[in-house]
Amino acid sequence: MSKIKDQTMSSKVSWESTIGLLDSVKVDEVGVKERVSSLSTRSIKRESKLQALNYVVSMCDLTTLEGEDTEGKIHQMTAKAIKPDPTDDDVPSAAAVCVYPSLVSTAKEIIGTSNVKVASVSSYFPSGQVPIESKLLDTQYAIDEGADEIDIVINRKAFFEGDYRKVFDEIVALKEACGDKHLKTILEVGELRTYDNIKKASLIALGAGSDFIKTSTGKISNGSSKEACLVMAKAVYEFKESTGFSAGIKVAGGIRNSKDAIRYLIIIKEELGEEWLSPNFFRFGASSLLDDVLRQIRKLKTNAYQSSYYFPRG
Amino acid sequence: MTEIKKTYKNYVDGKYVRSESGKTYTIDLKSESYELPLTSKKDLRDAVTSSKKGFDSWKGLSQYNKTQIIYRLSEMLEGNRDSYVDLLLEHGLTKSTANKDIDNAINTLVWYAGLADKWEQLTGNLNPVDGEFFNISHQEPLGIVFTLNSDEVSIDKLVRSFLPALSTGCSVINLSEKNAVLSLKLAEDVNNSDIPAGTLNLLSGDFSKVYDDVSRHVEINAFASYKKLNKEILKTINENASTSVKRIFHLPSEDGLSSILPFIETKTVWHPKGR
Repeated sequence: MSKIKDQTMSSKVSWESTIGLLDSVKVDEVGVKERVSSLSTRSIKRESKLQALNYVVSMCDLTTLEGEDTEGKIHQMTAKAIKPDPTDDDVPSAAAVCVYPSLVSTAKEIIGTSNVKVASVSSYFPSGQVPIESKLLDTQYAIDEGADEIDIVINRKAFFEGDYRKVFDEIVALKEACGDKHLKTILEVGELRTYDNIKKASLIALGAGSDFIKTSTGKISNGSSKEACLVMAKAVYEFKESTGFSAGIKVAGGIRNSKDAIRYLIIIKEELGEEWLSPNFFRFGASSLLDDVLRQIRKLKTNAYQSSYYFPRG
Repeated sequence: MTEIKKTYKNYVDGKYVRSESGKTYTIDLKSESYELPLTSKKDLRDAVTSSKKGFDSWKGLSQYNKTQIIYRLSEMLEGNRDSYVDLLLEHGLTKSTANKDIDNAINTLVWYAGLADKWEQLTGNLNPVDGEFFNISHQEPLGIVFTLNSDEVSIDKLVRSFLPALSTGCSVINLSEKNAVLSLKLAEDVNNSDIPAGTLNLLSGDFSKVYDDVSRHVEINAFASYKKLNKEILKTINENASTSVKRIFHLPSEDGLSSILPFIETKTVWHPKGR
């Protein structure tokens, strides 16, 4: 374990200042709910809707994380990420495909020269219940296979035992292994339950050097929520104020329709500013969301409600 | 005895819902007026979404099971016979016509219940081909069908406007206009008959407000009107429908085997025979 301690130096800020940020965490639950519900009632004009939907496509991490994933499935999905709507050139590519480490090389091969990134979950996603040495091996394997981005899970066991230091150190070690690859840290907000916990975990993950903080694994029934996203956005904002470092947010788990996705965009824009409306700072992890977005885009252009069977599978 | 008045609502996805627009229209019957939901574009879209699920659930049941369920619906109607007769009298029908109509409706239901597990044998075929092959025409339900009920005050006409499509395995969105009280009353028995949620959605409203969206909606596979439509509307519907190759049937047959033919499509299977 001494190997981890040595690496603490590579974190964005020291453990001491991170713990300083945690001390003042107090989230106003009623305020968060009010703010989310008022932001969710905004009406969006047709023109802005089209732009927002194109944003959503470009921010999509098209995801498949199943035991039954095969190379064929990855083929199909990656092709779809590169060209989500083959009949419409104005629809951008998705941001990335998100797969298990053993399928990274397959995805990488198909991606070729396109801009789509390959993200791999690691650190024994989704539970993360293994020693750090195994998590490092898992991550190293994904990087060696060619992953551009790494999605890890925080050590919830340590978090709930109150060992925040261990949570922090593990992320630091994993970021070290990632080098310049993008590190997204999954908090699993459904398990953290309270807004205070979500904010604390966000700050720990940010302090330890994560490039992104991500809501959920998508493997438990309580996935992402707009409230959790708002709390995380506030953490990102606070972190930027105190350290000058801008981190991104990825929401995942349970976002299935365009309307919902647009509401997330509104929250991000209002809390963090327009700068965050880019795949560099905001992502959707989703498998079925993209289908609905593509349908809505074509609905806006043709005025006819669409069916999924006219769009590629993946 | 106190009389309790009913608020009739649309029947979508196995639930009774008001129009999301909040709009209603009034139907005046002999002794009282009814306010019914005026189906909006959004309501239609919701109905299609639920029909999609409904199609999968309905298709997943065995033909034999579909037969049982439709037969169950006929039993429900028979059990509530008197209330249907009362409602028909409210619409101005004579006692004998009302009685006759509900009897006809029950008979129609039983007939289509019987057909539900037999139509495939009746419409399928082994085709003669030159070669050592079995060539089989296998029939499948089209998918999501939107049907428009006629304005006639008749339960029998009402059930005939969705049973042909339903008994083949399609999911149906049925819209009634001036006589929608009958349809939304029937929804209560539909709800009790084990028809899966979304398989049969019953709406009330004004067709002229939704036909544009009905004919454009890519997920609706066929549209059948049991009400005579004017040429203009029919022309627009046909034009809109062409973009998604939707099938349009104006006043299709309501009787016998020919009534279901619009709602099935043929898949041809070749299989080597050997010598």
